[in-house]
Amino acid sequence: MTRPRKVCPAQLAVGASLILMSAALAIGASRFPAEKGFTVLGAHVYPYAVAVFLGIVGVSISLQAIGGGFREPAYDSGRVTKALPGGKTGACWVTAGLAICALLITHIGFVLAAALLFACSAHGFGSRRPARDFAIGIALALPVYWLFSIGLGVSLPPLVNAWI
Amino acid sequence: MPEILSSLATGFATALAPLNLICGFIGCLLGTAIGVLPGIGPALTIALLLPITAKVDPTGALIMFAGIYYGAQFGGSTTSILLNAPGESASMVTALEGNSMARHGRAGPALATAAIGSFVAGTIATVLLTLFAPVIANLALKFGPAEYFAILVLAFTTVSAVLGSSMLRGLASLGLGLTIGLIGLDSLSGVARYTWGIPELIDGIEVVLVAVGLFAVGEALYGLLYQGEEAGSPHRLTSVWMTRADWKRSVPAWLRGTLIGFPFGSIPAGGAEIPTFLSYSAERKLSKHPQEFAANKGEGAIEGVAGPEAANNASATGSLVPLLTLGIPTSATAAILLAAFQNYNLQPGPLLFQTSGELVWALVASLYIGNTILLVLNLPLVGLWVKLLRIPRPYLNAGILVFATIGVYGMRQSSFDLLLMLAIGWLGVVMRRLDFPIAPVIVGMLLGPMAEKQLRNALSISQGDWLVFVTQPISAALLALTLLILIVPPLLHARGIRLQEHD
Repeated sequence: MTRPRKVCPAQLAVGASLILMSAALAIGASRFPAEKGFTVLGAHVYPYAVAVFLGIVGVSISLQAIGGGFREPAYDSGRVTKALPGGKTGACWVTAGLAICALLITHIGFVLAAALLFACSAHGFGSRRPARDFAIGIALALPVYWLFSIGLGVSLPPLVNAWI
Repeated sequence: MPEILSSLATGFATALAPLNLICGFIGCLLGTAIGVLPGIGPALTIALLLPITAKVDPTGALIMFAGIYYGAQFGGSTTSILLNAPGESASMVTALEGNSMARHGRAGPALATAAIGSFVAGTIATVLLTLFAPVIANLALKFGPAEYFAILVLAFTTVSAVLGSSMLRGLASLGLGLTIGLIGLDSLSGVARYTWGIPELIDGIEVVLVAVGLFAVGEALYGLLYQGEEAGSPHRLTSVWMTRADWKRSVPAWLRGTLIGFPFGSIPAGGAEIPTFLSYSAERKLSKHPQEFAANKGEGAIEGVAGPEAANNASATGSLVPLLTLGIPTSATAAILLAAFQNYNLQPGPLLFQTSGELVWALVASLYIGNTILLVLNLPLVGLWVKLLRIPRPYLNAGILVFATIGVYGMRQSSFDLLLMLAIGWLGVVMRRLDFPIAPVIVGMLLGPMAEKQLRNALSISQGDWLVFVTQPISAALLALTLLILIVPPLLHARGIRLQEHD
């Protein structure tokens, strides 16, 4: 198959980030104490090895990106789909729901945080009835909360204590 | 041999205890129910249910996870056939052939051959597991750190080469996993590595967090950005029963599928994709009715469902061999199961058969029981599973995210972990978009620390002599095999020969 031999910026960025990661690992490894204790290798040797491995992979991927893109990429088979209209807004809603839940869970308790997450994600996936979604979220989160916290002993932040 | 039988009998006694039987039943039910939902494979199902380990005793929990493991695969084939929505790449063939049968009014026989085929393959594979696992475990007891390190390197290579379309991208994913695995305290010297002073990172990053982030969150976001709702509606169910001709064509396909699937699962090579595709192409070549295959624009051939489904299940059971005997997971699901073992401070490996023999044999016995439960449970309940699919997409996805949150938060009660899960979810979107495989990340982060420990132990024993890896026959052979796997495909490729079909 013929492929236009042009640089693929996204793929080059992946290669570059792998090289950066490799450099960061190597810099980090150079700061670990070389003292070995009972072992022959110190704590820094294996991270160096991973850094070298990542560096080699990063350079190879960058070379492929410069030479016309990944070999055997999904695009050749037509499997890659186009971005969906409204997908970005939806993804923002889901991201916001997860972030809100993460930041508020210890303050407002698991049930409310999970219901907010449920409502935001449902909105992101196209539901347009926020009040109903929130109610369904509560109806789902309450029994799940009881099941996990009382039934299984998983510690989840409670509704009431978080307020007091 | 008599020892195996008596151990197995003890295992059955444990697994058939009422409480454990209930655990197995719940596992099969949950696994099927969640596996039926599109986009959720066995790995994610187990990851989401890991908090259960907090309360249930190890034997009960592992029996439940075994049920979930089988159940999720079972459920996956139901959706593939009825909705053409394969939850994982290994069910792609089932979707191709089975959905074609369903569209031509033969959903019943397609579901039945998948169900009975899974039972037959699962049971035969469990017999093979029962016979071979103790032998391999005994062999593995002779492994020193050098041999272990060599076999881990082999597992790294094969897993990243096999899962995904390009070895280089597989290796990049593996490198990412190895890097994540470095974060936290060094197990031998106690030095904190790559924690940037963040206290939450000192314990390292949980495998389950990464799996849930990549699979659940990443999948949800990717679905929003790039994939619309799958077109398709449930098909009217015809009679579930197979005709005499269906049986005659299915039985040999089940047996062939099992024989292809089990070895692929049990060598540390990973992936159920290759055996399912191999079985499919074998059935197409051997069939007396090639014109019926969907690939040949036919109405769907029953062998094309029976063989690959059997291969899929046999390879899933097979992957328990390296997991239980060597502690090496060869698939994302096996990796999560390993995490479940580790939650109980159990380290799968040759010693597990000696230190926790009762548990291992109960688990093996539960595989026989789980297979039977699934068969009994699923044939009558197919109609119910199809109703589950009517849950509107927004609620389905929102519900999955709520469960993901419980799973991740429940492990350490940390908001930081939830934010990390979100970030890893976005990383998963980028990886999917650029066609990087995800399973090697999980495998790398689990096996990386193991490999480091074995490497350092091996060098300590040899007093710093690196030649130890090439002078000992087993490790030298394993490393040579690794080298072959790395070198041969690109060489063949350069000469214009392709090993895999890219379709």
